[in-house]
Amino acid sequence: MRTSVRVCVVVALSLLGAAVAESVNPGGSTTALVLLAGAVALGELVVLRPPHRAPLPLAYAFMLVLVRAESPFECFVAIAAAELLVVPLRNGAWADRATQSGEHFVAGMAALGVYRIAITVDALTPTPRMLIALALAGVAAILVHEAFAYARARRIPPFGGADLALVASGMLMAIGFRGVEARESVGLWSVVLFSIPLLAAWYSFERLAVISRTSQQTIEALSVVPELAGLAPAGHAARVATLSVQVGDAMGLRRRELDDLRAAALLHHLGHLCLDAEEVRDRPVEPAEVADKGAEILRQTDLANAGDLLANDGVPVGGQILRAVSAFDDLLDRDLSVRAAMDALYSGPGFLYDSRVLDALDRVVGAGVATTLVSAG
Amino acid sequence: MNTQRETSVTAYCVGLAALAAAVGVFLSVRGPWPLVAPLVTLALLHVFAENQITDLTADMASGAGVMLCTAAMVVFRTDQSAIGVWLVAIAGGLYYPHLRHWQWRKLLFNCAMFPLAAVPSAAMFWTITGGGKASPGLLLAAALPAALVYSVVNVVLVCVVVTLDTGQRLRDVISVGSREYLVYYPFALMGVFLGLLYLDYELALVPLFLVPILVARQAFSSYLALKRSHEATVRILVGALEAKDPYTAGHAERVAEYAQYIGLELGIPANRLERLRLAALMHDVGKLVVPNHLLNKPGKLTAEEFDIVRKHEDVSVEILTRIDFLAPVAPSATSEAAHFSPVADDRGQPVEPHIVAVADAYDAMTSTRSYRRALSQDIAFAELRKNSGRQFHPRVVDALISSLRRRGEVHGAGHELYVHHVSAPSGNLGSAGLGDLLPDTAPNASADTVAGPTVRS
Repeated sequence: MRTSVRVCVVVALSLLGAAVAESVNPGGSTTALVLLAGAVALGELVVLRPPHRAPLPLAYAFMLVLVRAESPFECFVAIAAAELLVVPLRNGAWADRATQSGEHFVAGMAALGVYRIAITVDALTPTPRMLIALALAGVAAILVHEAFAYARARRIPPFGGADLALVASGMLMAIGFRGVEARESVGLWSVVLFSIPLLAAWYSFERLAVISRTSQQTIEALSVVPELAGLAPAGHAARVATLSVQVGDAMGLRRRELDDLRAAALLHHLGHLCLDAEEVRDRPVEPAEVADKGAEILRQTDLANAGDLLANDGVPVGGQILRAVSAFDDLLDRDLSVRAAMDALYSGPGFLYDSRVLDALDRVVGAGVATTLVSAG
Repeated sequence: MNTQRETSVTAYCVGLAALAAAVGVFLSVRGPWPLVAPLVTLALLHVFAENQITDLTADMASGAGVMLCTAAMVVFRTDQSAIGVWLVAIAGGLYYPHLRHWQWRKLLFNCAMFPLAAVPSAAMFWTITGGGKASPGLLLAAALPAALVYSVVNVVLVCVVVTLDTGQRLRDVISVGSREYLVYYPFALMGVFLGLLYLDYELALVPLFLVPILVARQAFSSYLALKRSHEATVRILVGALEAKDPYTAGHAERVAEYAQYIGLELGIPANRLERLRLAALMHDVGKLVVPNHLLNKPGKLTAEEFDIVRKHEDVSVEILTRIDFLAPVAPSATSEAAHFSPVADDRGQPVEPHIVAVADAYDAMTSTRSYRRALSQDIAFAELRKNSGRQFHPRVVDALISSLRRRGEVHGAGHELYVHHVSAPSGNLGSAGLGDLLPDTAPNASADTVAGPTVRS
């Protein structure tokens, strides 16, 4: 189901629920509660996707309004209802959908608990106390969300702007919805209008995600061209890229270095296509020539670091990894076993492949050649 | 800008600045003057908003301006301090790049435009809400007509300067420019909130208000930077790949440029235009798997060679399909999908393949190839028109011709930029290359007639 259809379903159900609540209890607080639960459900469908981290639903901002404005029981019911409502509207397997809703519900409850504790501290005047309690509640929700993400990926996410934007907007909505110390409040309007900057952030992150994916896929698509032209074995670039990144990761390269390594690995045969056709018509093409041509082209682009990895005049670790992994894949393509391929690389002249890279490659592919060599030594 | 236009723009900017200054002097004498703290806060916020957000989109910049001016109307409502609104508004004109490069006309224009739009808008807002206690609902309701006044003044002042600067008709400029002003209304409503929050909590909540805006800005800046970098990278990679064949060097870039012209002429939205440009850049990427000696063969191809060469379209489609963003326009790389059928109902069908086909054919005709010299632009136009409605989409052909004429661009024989170093064939040769492979090719026709619809790049 498309996101726009799912959003329409949630809006329709929320308005229907609010109409029923209003007709049963005109002017009562139930109507606003239903609409806020609808906002949480909508916020589950509109998700901030900052780069390199788990998506963050806008729902956490709306949960702060519920946490601040309603009784704990009403808040519990509204968040639970919203999370249940969106289970059938999420993408993916049913177990994953239920898990996501469950995790977000727990994060909402964490926010509620922290808020209720913080708001009882008498050390401050009401406005700062409210602001601090709301900020702590927002941070609690985000931390619980990220704890679940960490349990899956075992990688600490880079906290940043998206988290701040969610918490700040949620605080503004909560205060605007029901003012502090008898100050003016504007009710649900605050939820609607303070969503605008969040929606602008959502739109920006979506565009960023699309162009990042496009950029990545363009490199992947171009990597296939030499293979289609018969200049490299089918799937060679993709295999070398995957294995190079694994080796780079094992050697402790940083994320940016791994990105460069992946791009260089994918495009390491592209230079062959760019050689002057007339010049190379009647003679074999040297691998170093291909690498240098590729480097020359990539150095003109924003993939200049990847170009440096291809060049034969430099010795960055990434370049050493790429050289060893590409040779390893070539050997496997000649029907050598993994162990035999590693043996062949180790037995080459010492200046050809970096021994640290070969050790890392050996560990990643599980050939065990390095261990044997150490024992033998 | 020619001298007469420059003089007109200068006179207009100076005149507006004088008017804005006169209004400022009148309001400052009339008073009342606002409190310093909210005045300085809102003015600084306006300077910040315009400088931080203007480089993203004009919409967001304008939205930030109307939001801050509306906030000032709410904050200064009790005293109805019009000079307060005037001062907050004029602060938005202080755009750092204009100061750094000393673009004084732009500086004058902006410093005049903001207060001239904000002061009548404030008058409307205060007329509706009065000076006493007003409910938030009334303030929100009053913000809408106030934003209308602001946008009308803004549209008129901006469109007049664009007209003077570009020589376009005022009506055309307004019909395009006024569409962008819908974004003012939600920003004006947010301005009411900002004003109320300031009145209730002073500076305590302002950072909370700014954080999501800054985050959105940061993410959008990253997007714009990556978009530019990606397109530049594709241009260089595709350019380097096709440079091995001197006859088609620069072809993809030119096709992308013509496709962009056509897209703009047809009013294609920005997002689709971006997709079209990239698809046009990569439409021939499959050609790279075809051996050069076949591409440049100066005689007829054998059936076997024909099959090898023809495969390039499948390869192009496969490559474009691997990129999600370009997959919907992957047929742009095939001659069949781009073939216009006058009897088929093409409503709902993407127009991009037709655009790439026309841009591609036009560039093929106006470039020198291994098998013939470049044709003149007039002949290329005549060939496109002759097959308009048969092979080519008529609206697309019209769009290309009118956009090139309006830009005053001439391509083709005598105007080629890329292939002067190539020794051109003597003409009247048979076909090779990818161009003359379509079924209705006339293999032995003269250079002046062989091209047209049957030419592919």
